[in-house]
Amino acid sequence: MTLTQSTKPRQAGGEEPVLRLQNVSKIIGRKKIVDQLSFDVRRGEIVGLLGPNGAGKTTTIRMMTGLIKISEGDVKIAGRSIQSQFKDAIVQVGAIIENPEFYPYMSGYDNLKQAARMTDSVTSERIAEVISLLGLQEALHKKVKAYSLGMRQRLGIAQALLDRPKLLILDEPTNGLDPAGIREMRDYLKKIAVSEGIAILVSSHLLSEIEQMCTRVVVIQNGRLVTERAIGAGGSGQERPELRLRVDNPARARQVLESLKGVQALDGREGEHEIICQAADEEMPALIDALRQAEVAIYRITETRKSLEDEFLQWTGGNQIA
Amino acid sequence: MRNGIRLIQNEWLKLTKKRSFWVPVSMMVLIAAMVTFMLYKFSSNLSEIDSAAAYLSGMMGASGLGQFVAILSIVGTAGIVAQEHAQGTIKFLLIRSRSRGEIFAAKYAAAVLYTLLMTLIAGVSMYAASGFMFGFGGTGAQWLDVLKESAYGLVYSIVYVTLAFMVGALTRSTGVAIGVGLAGTMFGSLMIFKDFYKYVLFPNVNLSVYDTVGPPLPGMSIGFSLVVLAVYMALFLVAGYTVFRRRDVA
Repeated sequence: MTLTQSTKPRQAGGEEPVLRLQNVSKIIGRKKIVDQLSFDVRRGEIVGLLGPNGAGKTTTIRMMTGLIKISEGDVKIAGRSIQSQFKDAIVQVGAIIENPEFYPYMSGYDNLKQAARMTDSVTSERIAEVISLLGLQEALHKKVKAYSLGMRQRLGIAQALLDRPKLLILDEPTNGLDPAGIREMRDYLKKIAVSEGIAILVSSHLLSEIEQMCTRVVVIQNGRLVTERAIGAGGSGQERPELRLRVDNPARARQVLESLKGVQALDGREGEHEIICQAADEEMPALIDALRQAEVAIYRITETRKSLEDEFLQWTGGNQIA
Repeated sequence: MRNGIRLIQNEWLKLTKKRSFWVPVSMMVLIAAMVTFMLYKFSSNLSEIDSAAAYLSGMMGASGLGQFVAILSIVGTAGIVAQEHAQGTIKFLLIRSRSRGEIFAAKYAAAVLYTLLMTLIAGVSMYAASGFMFGFGGTGAQWLDVLKESAYGLVYSIVYVTLAFMVGALTRSTGVAIGVGLAGTMFGSLMIFKDFYKYVLFPNVNLSVYDTVGPPLPGMSIGFSLVVLAVYMALFLVAGYTVFRRRDVA
């Protein structure tokens, strides 16, 4: 999966976004922790919130959930303001903020009951449904203090899903999970995003995780929006992708490539029999024929792709990631 | 209404599901039994106590075991707000479709219920213990006194529980809340013979004195004390609520 250049076009007159940030700022003293941040999350989308340490991700998430006051701007959840219509807005949200915290001396089930008693509509059938959805049956009556972090994470998702939210906000959802758990979580989130039409906002420091899970990323730094990109499912979408050729004679190959019209030969690691060029799809058959005629043996042709990590470092100037 | 009751139920379960819940409860039972026994064994002026009811009417107020009830209730409930911050569960609590005001009110209601329970346990334990020594009976007038003294004792405990509750909400520290609450119960016996002191909380908290030794300072009456207490309680709750409602939970 790679990044395309543009964000998904905003559908004019389309349905209301599940989450809309409108010029949200958090000012403490004279410092702007979050500065005029705006973005939307729509139904069925999984959006990654990325940013280096101290970029304001956690502050942003806490403003969305009403844990901290918004200094300027507004957050709307399914059209309702988290400030002026808190109850109507927050009832649409399920969230885990930082670590999933529970009452350690109670069982997982008792904790879920605590959450259920704070809703208007959650029945014991719904609790049972969520329990089996997350595979929590066995640990249900153990005290939470005996839970592994992975179990706690699942219990966290369970409580977040109880009241059938329209928006799920997850801070570091795969934190503390083993590889199988991460994969399971990812598949599960993708599934509910589609089947329940839930919008999911995920912040994570695992960029590869975000890359595999999200349909779009929002990158912030110093409290400001840096970029907003869709993550495509297919190729890079570039017209002239960068290709890495592995051949037996790179010097010869370079001569051939340079003689071809339209093809640009770039640097390659010749010692490792590699050469990099840019070519459009239509130019490829001719390129391959020319190399064969010059008796250059082609071992491999691969597209060089920038990973999300590379792009991220480019956007944020190489700061460390939270 | 149903929502409010379910919130209070949540708070009550948080208080009582802890294993440490049984510590103050068993301490209350033990202290009640021990104090009753010691008094019976070693006190010289027991002639006027002829029934469990007579004994209880002397012991349920702040001058009797009321102070213990207050102390144990403070210890049991001081963490009701602070613990949520310490455990991080405050986030679990505040991102629901319930206002901070409702949550704060439910927490206070649970603290008051806890104090009621402690008062009840003190009463029942002392009744059981003293019944064996003085007989389980009592006249109607004596039982009326028991009720009155219990109400005085309850007012005493609830005032200090409210103080500790506010401090817990302001400082988010269970230790500070317990410390201030306990210090309060100690200041109760301190008397400054100046006119302004009658407007201070401490000389007004123990209402039993109006039936025994009389007003602590000139110009005080039970009605005066009740008004002063109501003003202080309102102040504590408004201060606690204002901070709880406005706080950024980081």
